[in-house]
Amino acid sequence: MLAWLRIVIDVLIACGAFFALVGVLGILRMPDTFCRMQASTCVNTLGVIGLCLGALLYAIVLKQDAGSAVKIALIGLLILVTNPIGAHSIAKGAYKAGIRPEKPMETDDLGRDSE
Amino acid sequence: MRKTTFPAVLSTFLVCYAFWLLLTWSVAAQELIAGAVVSLLAALFASRFFIHEKAGWLFNPAKFFVGLFYWVCVFPVELIKANCDMAGRVLGGCKNVKPGIVKIPVDLKSDYGRAALANSITLTPGTITMEITEEGEQAYYYVHWIDAQSDGAEAGEAIKGRMEKWIRRFWEK
Repeated sequence: MLAWLRIVIDVLIACGAFFALVGVLGILRMPDTFCRMQASTCVNTLGVIGLCLGALLYAIVLKQDAGSAVKIALIGLLILVTNPIGAHSIAKGAYKAGIRPEKPMETDDLGRDSE
Repeated sequence: MRKTTFPAVLSTFLVCYAFWLLLTWSVAAQELIAGAVVSLLAALFASRFFIHEKAGWLFNPAKFFVGLFYWVCVFPVELIKANCDMAGRVLGGCKNVKPGIVKIPVDLKSDYGRAALANSITLTPGTITMEITEEGEQAYYYVHWIDAQSDGAEAGEAIKGRMEKWIRRFWEK
């Protein structure tokens, strides 16, 4: 039973680490600012969810520590709730500050409508 | 400036206090009193920015379960699909990207629903909501999309997927 749970926990944490790696690779390799932001969303969605679920199971089942379990759940929840607000304002701020990709975008409705 | 109403203060206070209790995880008297004072002050100053409509809408079991189903079953599926798509693009060398900002129509009336849909769209990798405008009754989002193939309502269907329907069920009617 416990060995089986260890495997589940390890798989969850490995999934989280994989998506965090993908997000960082995306930040390094994507062509422009907005696409880098898109890739970074991978880190704080499935990366955080995987790590937090793994840590939550570990805290509940193996450590049997309710205080840490609640704190881990709250950390995950707060990251998920605050991340989109930061993303909105960074993307909008970057666009307002005049940052444009080198290669023109396929469509730019915001630029078209604000002229 | 909006006015501070009692239900708004009460609900903000309850949420702040619940967070305090969960984070400290102790029932010592001084922790309880300090938490109550701090949450009450925070609620008095901040509630008018948070709660603009009916504060007690979540005290409706049917709505609560619709919301729970959305956050546990509908949204994670979209999240995992989008994450795998993004992982494929990144590991394929980031060549397969066609970034663009598209304008999509949104059929939600309440502020809560619009904010929730915008946040859901931003949380799925590959789409970021950048701006919201209103033209008459109809609201529009400007969404930065990493795979901008289409425009207008068609792009809206591809981006919003099943999320809009569930958010309408949760926040409206």
